[in-house]
Amino acid sequence: MSRSFTKTILDITVYAVLIIGALTMLIPFVWMLSVSLREPAQQYARIIIPTPVTLQNYLDLFKDLPDQAFIYLTFNSFKISILTVVGQVLTCAMAAFVFAIVKFKGRDFLFALLVATLMIPPQVSLIPNFIIFKYLGWIGTQLPLIIPAFWGGAFGTFLLRQYFLTIPRDLVDAARMDGASLFDIFWRVYMPLSKPAVAALSIFVFKDAWNDLLHPLVYLPTDMHQTTLTVGLAFFQQQLQAGGKFTVLMAGAFLSIVPLLIIFFIAQKQFIEGIALSGVKR
Amino acid sequence: MDYGLKPLGREKLWLWLMLVPTIIGLVFGTIGSLFATLGLSLFDWDLINPPTWVGIDNYVALFQNENYIEAFVNTLKFSALYVPGVVIISLLLAVLLNRKMRGVGIFRTIYFLPTVTSAVATALVWNMIYGKETGILNFMLESLGMTPICWLCTDNAMMSVVIVNIWGAIGEGMIIFLAGLTAIPRDYYEAASLDGANNFQQFLRVTLPLVTPSIFFQTLISAINAFQAYDYIYMLTRRGQGDSSVPVAVYSIYRNAFHFFRMGDASAQAIQLALLVGVFMAIMFWWERHYVVYE
Amino acid sequence: MKKFLFVLVMASLLLAACGGGATPADKAPVEITFTMWGAPEELEVWQAVVDDFHSANPNITVKVDVSDWDSYWTKLNTLIAGGTPPDVFAMDAPLFLDWQSRGALLNLQPYIDANPGFLDGFYPQTLTAYKTTDGYYGLPRDFQTIVLFYNKDMFDAAGVEYPTADWTYDDLLAAAKTLTLDKDNDGKIDQYGIWSDTWDMELLWSEAIWSYGGEIINSDHTKTLIGEGGARDAWAFIDSLYKEGVMPTPTASGEFGFDLFQSNMAAMTTIGHWAVPGYVQAEIKFDVAPMPKGPAGQATSVNSAGFVVSKDSKNADAAFEFIKFALGTAGQTKLAQLGFAIPVLKSVAESDAYLKQPGDLNQKVFLDSVAFAHMKPVFKGYEEWAGVIGDGLIPVFDGEAELNPTLDEVIAAADEILANNK
Repeated sequence: MSRSFTKTILDITVYAVLIIGALTMLIPFVWMLSVSLREPAQQYARIIIPTPVTLQNYLDLFKDLPDQAFIYLTFNSFKISILTVVGQVLTCAMAAFVFAIVKFKGRDFLFALLVATLMIPPQVSLIPNFIIFKYLGWIGTQLPLIIPAFWGGAFGTFLLRQYFLTIPRDLVDAARMDGASLFDIFWRVYMPLSKPAVAALSIFVFKDAWNDLLHPLVYLPTDMHQTTLTVGLAFFQQQLQAGGKFTVLMAGAFLSIVPLLIIFFIAQKQFIEGIALSGVKR
Repeated sequence: MDYGLKPLGREKLWLWLMLVPTIIGLVFGTIGSLFATLGLSLFDWDLINPPTWVGIDNYVALFQNENYIEAFVNTLKFSALYVPGVVIISLLLAVLLNRKMRGVGIFRTIYFLPTVTSAVATALVWNMIYGKETGILNFMLESLGMTPICWLCTDNAMMSVVIVNIWGAIGEGMIIFLAGLTAIPRDYYEAASLDGANNFQQFLRVTLPLVTPSIFFQTLISAINAFQAYDYIYMLTRRGQGDSSVPVAVYSIYRNAFHFFRMGDASAQAIQLALLVGVFMAIMFWWERHYVVYE
Repeated sequence: MKKFLFVLVMASLLLAACGGGATPADKAPVEITFTMWGAPEELEVWQAVVDDFHSANPNITVKVDVSDWDSYWTKLNTLIAGGTPPDVFAMDAPLFLDWQSRGALLNLQPYIDANPGFLDGFYPQTLTAYKTTDGYYGLPRDFQTIVLFYNKDMFDAAGVEYPTADWTYDDLLAAAKTLTLDKDNDGKIDQYGIWSDTWDMELLWSEAIWSYGGEIINSDHTKTLIGEGGARDAWAFIDSLYKEGVMPTPTASGEFGFDLFQSNMAAMTTIGHWAVPGYVQAEIKFDVAPMPKGPAGQATSVNSAGFVVSKDSKNADAAFEFIKFALGTAGQTKLAQLGFAIPVLKSVAESDAYLKQPGDLNQKVFLDSVAFAHMKPVFKGYEEWAGVIGDGLIPVFDGEAELNPTLDEVIAAADEILANNK
């Protein structure tokens, strides 16, 4: 009797904490949306739902853009981000599998070296990498943004390796006894069991590629038909920020995250729900 | 670590095929990043004319460069506040949300939302939220009868910036931990209950040890992010033509390389920062060897 | 690429031989890149200038790359470091020497000598920044003088007389006090008398120092003079603007979006012509007056943005043709209509193209100000030097530090940078 009472109190407290936390997480988004729907005169008003609601700010964002630039910008961002995800998931998963499961000479050293590449921030490796791409003749194309995704990555490999390591080795032994090859074990045993981790990695990689400003800026021509959305928005933001046009700025900010939100909502079923159901059965 | 399959005969081919892309990446990564930066740090390069050799002068100059020292110290302060915050909060969150309860999916979605935004969008909103005269945080404080705080003034800037960064990273940690938590077989919990352990003891004896792989990962990644943090901090504390009231290491590196024509100094600073990361990595790998439980 | 050019050259030679050559034989098609920083509105007009240029020179195609200020320098530095510099790029006069002294720029003197009289129609003050002992390494594209802007509606509402050419800084302060209002009585100021940026010298503090009889830096750029004599009084005046509450502190400005005149929260500002299109678009009823006088006279700042050609450019001739066009009457007229800056060609500046552009303000004030304008200092290490001063004084203006001791510290640090950059 008292056990279930304490349990209820515990449950209620947990709910309360979670709800307060959730509101805190949401406040900035709500504010962003709210300001973006307001008339400029009300931009500092302390209200949540503006009266009147206006979409003018979103239209204002595009008025100085060349025709259909927004479509090109979004398409470029999208194309680069998706290709990056594909490249990363494939190559990191393969490498993670090898590092987690296979024994070979120099494995630990190689892994440490891989993780060590995380030590240098991108701003610093920008110029040396730029020079390499220059010699390859890739400056001005999308190649420097896409191809590197296909040669692995420290973060992705690290993430998946950790996950793979938690999968019981008996499965591997069992598969072996059934005559499975290395690749079979990878593709038929590990990958299916790793959906949550792969989904999580995909979202992180997509987000980083989508939000990347530095690399598209430098490798792509700064032409509103060839560059990405982040570069285009940066171009517009400076002017707006100087003039304190927060309503339009918020509209731009909101638009820049909408695609990510959409992707996330599509994928979240895959992994947020998937996480609960994929506990590995012994 | 002792585990591992031995590849049989022809499988060695597969082994290398699966690794080849990563090895190419490593070559580029080590040459393009590590070695290039290390090399450049021994020269003075203004980006325009060929580099000139200066040996370890740039490193010596590091210790006398007040701006850099300030930035480095800020990085350390920031990391000390941020890393424990993110790891602990997201772990607790994952534990709370790792059960069947109504709305768990919605909660998980909401907590993950901040990670999906960009630094620019986030900084814009938080600038508005933190505004001394116009921000909603102060609005809430005032309606509760308290005095408004100047969130982004030099005294409070560090804490405010840490809060924003944690806000933006909890979701990521939560997902990592959730994935790790679900890999813990339910039998262990059942066995523990049978032995009379309550929730808290189960957490200590079953959950914690078995979630160490994720703790290892998340702590290391968070630390690296903290040491290299730049975007959010710069956008929130920006003043004038490109300077920041809370300069951090990467900020100093960037300014030296792209505004002051001092690539050599920037590289030396980057190497020093990399050493910091490296030391932390070594500590974490040591911790992994002794404390992380994989099975 | 080379093969293509070769074929084209042969083809055009043939054409020339056959048909009496409208196209001279040596003009193979060339593509040059021109990068600049700017606002989205500028993109369209520069594209129009480029199109006009292309019609006049069909063999030269110009690819225009416009970025925001931050992105511009990141990209430029990367391109140059990587060995793929743009042919023509925009340069800010104060930063000019940093680039020129490091050998990144092409000496344009040979081209200027080949075009006698080319520079005659320019305002001479705009040319000095780009001249070195062995010639011009760049040319000004437009220039800016700083003037006093005032919001007519706010002045009318407060019953204050519009600023005149005889105003002194004391008049400014007095008017600002009357114009600083808490309109809804909530304890917060809703309208400031004046807003200006005090981080970089260009908008206010250099003018103040000069009109109080001080100087910024000595002629061989080894000593910072902003703490000597009249300059200290100028700083005291600026500090008083903050202390009297008529000007928002740097931290507060950030909250309101940096330019409070544009967001209708300040009655006056001191800024250059580049702000005009934004103010016109924000539908502010404003006009301009010359900068106020100080005890030692009237002074303002003149600065310019210029063109430079990369030393490693492979199409230097075509690059110069483009510059020549943009600095010619046709180009300057189109740019004048843009409204961002003042043409460097006197003839265009004094014509309707400039004087009758959109915006109901007295455009002539900008031109007249040239008479008492001092050039914004140009020297190696400018950016670092300006950073140390700008950053260093913010605590003073935020009310967290004392003016004079901080000035001493800041000047010492600034001098060190000058020493490092010799």
